[in-house]
Amino acid sequence: MTVAAPIGMKVRARRKSRGMTQVALARRLEISASYLNLIESDRRAVGGSLLQRIAEELELELDDLSGDRERRLVERLGELAADPSILQHRIDPATANALVSRHPDWAGALLSLSRGLRDADQQITALSDRLDQDPALMEAVHQVLNNAAAVRSTMEILSSVDDLPDEQRARFIEIVLSQSSALSSTAEQLVVLFSAGSTHNRSLSPAEEVDDFLIQNQSYFPALEDAARDLRREVRACGQTIEGALTAFLLQKFGISVFNRSPVEADLSRFRNHTHFDAADKVLTFLDNAPPPTRQFQLARLASQLIAPDAIAEVADDELLTSEEARARARGALTSWLAAAALFPYETFLEDAIRHRYDVELLRQRYSASVEQICQRLVSLRKPGAEGIPFGFLRADPSGHISKRFPIAGLPIPRGGNGCPLWPLYGAFQTSDRVIRQLAEFPNGSRYLFIARTVRHEPALFHEAPFLHAVMLACDVVHADQTVYADGLDFAARQMATPVGPNCRLCARTSCLHRGEESILSSR
Amino acid sequence: MANGGTGKLGARILIAEDEPNIVELLTFVLQRAGCEIRSVSDGEAAIAEIRRDPPDVLLLDLMLPRKDGYEVLKAVRGSATHAALPVVMLTAKGQEKDRKVAESLGVDVFITKPFSNQEVVDSVLKLART
Repeated sequence: MTVAAPIGMKVRARRKSRGMTQVALARRLEISASYLNLIESDRRAVGGSLLQRIAEELELELDDLSGDRERRLVERLGELAADPSILQHRIDPATANALVSRHPDWAGALLSLSRGLRDADQQITALSDRLDQDPALMEAVHQVLNNAAAVRSTMEILSSVDDLPDEQRARFIEIVLSQSSALSSTAEQLVVLFSAGSTHNRSLSPAEEVDDFLIQNQSYFPALEDAARDLRREVRACGQTIEGALTAFLLQKFGISVFNRSPVEADLSRFRNHTHFDAADKVLTFLDNAPPPTRQFQLARLASQLIAPDAIAEVADDELLTSEEARARARGALTSWLAAAALFPYETFLEDAIRHRYDVELLRQRYSASVEQICQRLVSLRKPGAEGIPFGFLRADPSGHISKRFPIAGLPIPRGGNGCPLWPLYGAFQTSDRVIRQLAEFPNGSRYLFIARTVRHEPALFHEAPFLHAVMLACDVVHADQTVYADGLDFAARQMATPVGPNCRLCARTSCLHRGEESILSSR
Repeated sequence: MANGGTGKLGARILIAEDEPNIVELLTFVLQRAGCEIRSVSDGEAAIAEIRRDPPDVLLLDLMLPRKDGYEVLKAVRGSATHAALPVVMLTAKGQEKDRKVAESLGVDVFITKPFSNQEVVDSVLKLART
């Protein structure tokens, strides 16, 4: 549908802002004042040379008056008016023109909200369709495959065995009939389960795309391991201690000086993680109370960013990352990844992890690193043929919001928002600095060992509050006994497992006493 | 029917599977391939039977009651006397994650349902020969 572009208000506002009367502008345009009044009231469409003259007189770009943006807004509002969810408001699509003309920002905001709602709806639907979130669906699919296996196997026998005794043949035909019947019945159940919601493709945010990119690569990037090895070799030649060598390396290779500054004297708004890098002046400044693991990591991160931008960009040039924002986020994550790989060399770190049975505290001390850095390096030990335990990683702030996630295939954790309140990720806030563990069982029967603790981000100054995060590692229960955290736990006793879920919205445990909101699964 | 070659005559196979029809069908095709078949219908019984009289090959379903296939496989590989027992895992959980977990626990062959009889027979006979 083509609609007249409501640009009249824009012409009027511009004319007034320049202190011109309608009569004065009409004279310059060589049209009557009443005709200009009709244009300004959107009662006359305008185009061609007249539109060009108006743009010139008001010193506007022709594009500003082409009305394309306004036309698109009106068209999209027209579509919105026809949306079944707002039909009861009986909005006349013709009024869209007036809204866009008088309040274009409100019109844009309305459309943004509507788009956000649609995306959220699609995301919920797509999530609700995920096989591993729904025990009923999973059981039905499992049953279908078993029935199909029996039918296929029987038919193969019937069609290929010539000397089958009659009695045996009759028995096999009976199996085919009973399994086919079971198959039909399960298929009907599946139709009921699926018909509750139509399927849409989720529209992924850049952060979600990066998550998918990490899952796809199992948080392991061989090209960056190679870059980390090269970086380590160069840095090692520059000094004895890691921090000293990295500082000397940055100066020698890139002319970057490293300074310390008192928090009292520094403009703290420019610092992040106790660090500020001024690329123009080639100065990296630390607050002088920056913890040693932070200093070490930020030095390594800057070195990684400068020495391997092409390798990082090449890895981030992935079809899963569909926007520049997503690729930029991925480059940031990969730069940190490379820094960790440089500080914690793969083979040595894996050997230490296995020898210390993945004890994060021991590894932290061994590498003078933070808990979070060690956890994230453990997640990345996925080199084919030299793999560590597959770990997932989550970080939450005290409000419960999950602020970082490295998922592992199969572990049902939500993409954003909050997780299950029963996870030790949240219990950790009640026992600050102590490691707590949990044998967790999800509604689909999968079981995981969760290991959680808080990490404290020290304030730069007295009047700043310390900030607390909780971090959690998760591994499939089949690997748990390789860790120190399994000691004393009885994995065979199913009743020992805590029944948890992904979060309330995606959890099928309808009778859970800890439920905070309705499940989208139970409404089926 | 073609059963994929002649295996070790009398290879002793233990089927751990809780779907009776599938047990019956596997028994039929493997017996015709010259194997001697026993079956159990849960994970704990599988472990007990292996201890009592170890087979040449274990044909193991993943979704078993009492102890699942992973736990059985882990018990086998952790056992001093039966760690080398060849294991074929049959599963309706065909996700890549399940395959990786099974492989990390030392499964010899991972077959997803619906399987072809030929594939199962070939895998079992090959392992029985080793």
